Amino acid sequence: MSLRSGVIPIGAGEQERPGPLRIIITVVAYALPAVFILLPLGLFLLQSFYYVDHGAEVRELTIRNYVRFFSDAAFVPVFLRTCVVCLAVAGISVVFAYPIAYLLASLQGRRKYVLALVFVIPLMMSYIIKIYAIRAILGGNGFLNRILLFLGIVDAPLNFLIFNLQAVTLTLAILLLPFAILPIFIALERVPRTILDASADLGASSWQTFCRVIWPLSLQGTIVAATFTFVLALGDFVTPQMVGGTSGMTFGRIIYSQFGFAFNWPFGAALSVILLVLVLAALLLTSLFGRARHQL
Amino acid sequence: MIRISPVARIGLGLIGGFVLVVLYGPLFIAVFFSFFEFQNNAVQWDSFSFDAYVSLFHDESILEAVGNTLFVGAAAVVLSVILGTALAFYYNGSRSRFRELLQLVIFLPFLMPPIITGLSLLIFFREIDVPRSLWTVIIGHTVFVLALVYRIVLTRLQTLRTSLVEASLDLGASHWQTFRYVLLPGLMPAIGSAAILAFALSFDETLITLLVTGTDSTLPMRLWAMMRMGFAPDINALVAVILVGSTLLALFAIRFVKIPMQPN
Repeated sequence: MSLRSGVIPIGAGEQERPGPLRIIITVVAYALPAVFILLPLGLFLLQSFYYVDHGAEVRELTIRNYVRFFSDAAFVPVFLRTCVVCLAVAGISVVFAYPIAYLLASLQGRRKYVLALVFVIPLMMSYIIKIYAIRAILGGNGFLNRILLFLGIVDAPLNFLIFNLQAVTLTLAILLLPFAILPIFIALERVPRTILDASADLGASSWQTFCRVIWPLSLQGTIVAATFTFVLALGDFVTPQMVGGTSGMTFGRIIYSQFGFAFNWPFGAALSVILLVLVLAALLLTSLFGRARHQL
Repeated sequence: MIRISPVARIGLGLIGGFVLVVLYGPLFIAVFFSFFEFQNNAVQWDSFSFDAYVSLFHDESILEAVGNTLFVGAAAVVLSVILGTALAFYYNGSRSRFRELLQLVIFLPFLMPPIITGLSLLIFFREIDVPRSLWTVIIGHTVFVLALVYRIVLTRLQTLRTSLVEASLDLGASHWQTFRYVLLPGLMPAIGSAAILAFALSFDETLITLLVTGTDSTLPMRLWAMMRMGFAPDINALVAVILVGSTLLALFAIRFVKIPMQPN
């Protein structure tokens, strides 16, 4: 009986004959993820090649859902606009997250982790409650308008604060910002101290050290943060529904409506596949970038 | 550690302070208005009351939703801990070429946008004729949090010393006894952390739930329905309750969960 170093031989195939526990674990390990993750994904992909005719689902394989997406003038503009919104969300999140992560990385000892916690705790708070709270501030009857009226800055409530794409962008950025802080913070924490000391010893100012040393070394974490927020914003359909109003239509909302009012599951599935392709492309680009930098 | 000049520190501090106001401000304002009324463009300072809280705790639908949420969370935690631990053991002990593929499959629901995971399950449940209920929500949540539990348990498992296990087996303990008395105690902190995080994720899960839920609603579903109808005054009270609840859960999690950070 040989033991490989670093491997705990419980439930592993170290015996001559595999024990019953071993067989059960192997079956469970493959069967459950196959049934509850892969099979649903497969059915979902398949669904996107069906179509709906006069309200009934026809189970013949066709690409007409995909053709409809590209040929119908209604969908591509919404798709592109959603991409712009999500890029803006990623941009805003990173622009604010970077200085915060930098501040955190410059602190020492307990203070660093306590303050990091303060910025991350909002992630643990109810997502829908946060949307509600933001909506209560931006709304026509909301807190911001009341303050502006009270201070006499405006005569009538501003109505461009909510129920449009800007409100969606702003709300998503507020919701996702804490997600962006973490990867940047971790990247900054990993910058070796010796390199910083070397830079300072060689006479670089702290600004030069930042531009030449810290920024390049934290760029990858920053890109991960941007991808994170971009992907999370892309898949959201609740936030746009809550603060987007009629003019704040996003791609996620269109998908969701296919499974609700519009009741065209195959088309909804096809739109989701397109969303998934975009997400995978974003993740792939990020990992390629990471690998390319690794080889430098 | 990164050094910055005092001026830069002030600048960064101002940005941080601004972001904190944006992150926490809306929530505190909501909590404030759970105690006070706002009329004629002014806060009515004499309107302080706990009425919103009283009516909240008499709202049957909310209490039921809270009960459902706790049930779903507990069930998802139990299922994902059992399955995630089994998967971690399998991965750690296997030499199979397929184990990397298996790991990727486990991570999929965590990596893909929740709307994809939710829709896949929605279509899956329809195909196998399972009506949507709290049980479909539990499956959705389990699939979603599984990757997290698996990862945390696996990380711990890989750092446990193999010599203890070898000693236990040499001394004649069965595989089960070794698992129960040697490995499990070593894994408990990881399993505990994973369970807390999984519960927190399940408690707040909205996007997948919205797609696979039946007529019984969880708390986020109930809130979503309430908010679509407009602003009920009770919601502010609920904001306060959930705020306190999730902050306590977060602090509890931080107390026990060791987030792997690598300071220099």
